[in-house]
Amino acid sequence: MTDLILQALYSGILTGSSYALIALGLALVFGTMRIINLAHGEMVLVAAYMAYTLENAYQVNPLMAIPLAVIVACMLSVIVNFLVNRIHHDRELNSLILTFGLGIMLTNASQMIWKADIRSTKSAWLQDAISFGSLYSMKGELLFFAVSLVLVGGVAWWLRASWYGRAVRAVSSNREAAKLMGINPQRTELVSFLVAGLLAGFAGVALYCNSVIQPSLGGALTVKAFIITVLAGMGSIVGVLIGALLIGIAEALTTTLASSALQDLTGMLLFLLVLFVLPNGLFGTRRHD
Amino acid sequence: MTDRPRLVLIGLLIALYAGVPMILGGNLYLMSNIVAALTIGGIALAWALLGNLGGMVSFGHAAFFGVGAYVSALCVMKLGIPVFAALLFGGIGAAFASILIAPALRLRGPYFALSVLAYAHIFRIIATEWKGLTNGSGGLSSIPRFPELFGVDFGSKVGSYLIVLTLVLLFAGIYHLVRRSDYGLALRAMHDSEAATRVVGVNSLVLKALMLLLSAFMAGVMGAFNAHYINFLEPDYAFSGLWTTLPIVAAIFGGYRTIVGPIVGAVVVYLVDQLIFKSLIASGHQIILGALLIAMILWSPGGLLPRMAGFFKRRRHAEA
Repeated sequence: MTDLILQALYSGILTGSSYALIALGLALVFGTMRIINLAHGEMVLVAAYMAYTLENAYQVNPLMAIPLAVIVACMLSVIVNFLVNRIHHDRELNSLILTFGLGIMLTNASQMIWKADIRSTKSAWLQDAISFGSLYSMKGELLFFAVSLVLVGGVAWWLRASWYGRAVRAVSSNREAAKLMGINPQRTELVSFLVAGLLAGFAGVALYCNSVIQPSLGGALTVKAFIITVLAGMGSIVGVLIGALLIGIAEALTTTLASSALQDLTGMLLFLLVLFVLPNGLFGTRRHD
Repeated sequence: MTDRPRLVLIGLLIALYAGVPMILGGNLYLMSNIVAALTIGGIALAWALLGNLGGMVSFGHAAFFGVGAYVSALCVMKLGIPVFAALLFGGIGAAFASILIAPALRLRGPYFALSVLAYAHIFRIIATEWKGLTNGSGGLSSIPRFPELFGVDFGSKVGSYLIVLTLVLLFAGIYHLVRRSDYGLALRAMHDSEAATRVVGVNSLVLKALMLLLSAFMAGVMGAFNAHYINFLEPDYAFSGLWTTLPIVAAIFGGYRTIVGPIVGAVVVYLVDQLIFKSLIASGHQIILGALLIAMILWSPGGLLPRMAGFFKRRRHAEA
């Protein structure tokens, strides 16, 4: 029994690390632009389908698809940014409806292009088992765990040290003041969208390599990413990482102890609990409305 | 002059209650599409009420629709409650379900919208997993249909049309009364400044909760109606995201700040989608609905109907 629980913790941490990539993109965009991109999960999914397409067309390892996946996700990001910028009144709520519509379009386009079937990688190398003592995982999971940590760490460093990273933080905390300091908020928003696209590209390939994909998955990914950002509280990268690992672990434990059908329920209940008990998240600073 | 709107209204009612069944009643395919469109219209109205009066965007009306459907079906099948009474129970069940989400009302804009979205997932999972009550993903079949009353077979297409039409008109009437009441005034004031409204002694949380309750009730009744109309339920159908998507598209298209807009929007959007787009693009025809939603938000967020009405009014002024 202890072995099983340890294994669930281990698998949960590995899965959770990819969730962190998805959630971090959502949180960055929310930070600078004050909008939640409801098509974010669909963007990740389209990136995942890029890996599927390349693997099937050229029999290459899906990892080779990362550049293409990143480019496509960034292009979609730029489109969302462009469209949202054209909303003139009540942007907070209208952008929700607009990106919701975009999500519908992407889901249906995926269904038209790639059919509704469930897809997963054929790469034997990625699915090979690798073990540490009694803990097992696929090679792909371990690989993307490392990639995720590097990316999350990279974004954290970028936000702290680089000019644009600091501009993103400045716009997030006070848009008007940032403008007075000579920061172009529109360009900063675009940069945050591009970083979100980059993360979504990697997350999509990770999703395809370690799990299965189908067109209807996008909405669930968005919800998951949102849940993680709420768990984390806005404005905390460590929070996003821990929140993502927490969701991954909660899902894995539910699968081990109860049933895989209930795994989403645990995440949702955890989310509602945090929302009602700690509205600022586990690690968030106080939100000013 | 005051008689003219009333005459128009009476004429419209006669056309809806007598004209449509007489002219289109024979075309079962078209009738079933009209019934479905009005069902969507009812949910769209409930969604717009929450958006317009409560200032809240919900992505979870499928939850209320599904709960209403299951409560009503189970009331009839397990407790033997008459079908028409069960519609009411379906609505009450959905209203209860909305109380569970009420704590989220403290959250602002996007947070509320997404909490409700997460919440809708929870209900679908419960309906799938609580097999003893709902028969899980196997679904409930042969749910009792509407009975024959006063010589009208309400189980038929035309009978179901009369029921759903009555429900939608009833909801529109309730919406109108709420909007005209003191509550409506307070809600409109809240829309301008929630803080200022709270200062003069309006409990904005309670008001919002009431709107959520009413909106959930309406969506629940529509779900209950649909369950007895199609006689079959399964979790993936009852809680399908379509029950959220279509009403949003309909309400935004028709104008969510009006009462007639969401209903007319639903009829137009649903019929065009089913009769035209579906035959053009077999799989993924909703891509057009997504595009429509984006186009509306960018160019006419107030809806197409109010815009057209404004256009005609301006023309009439210009001619006069």
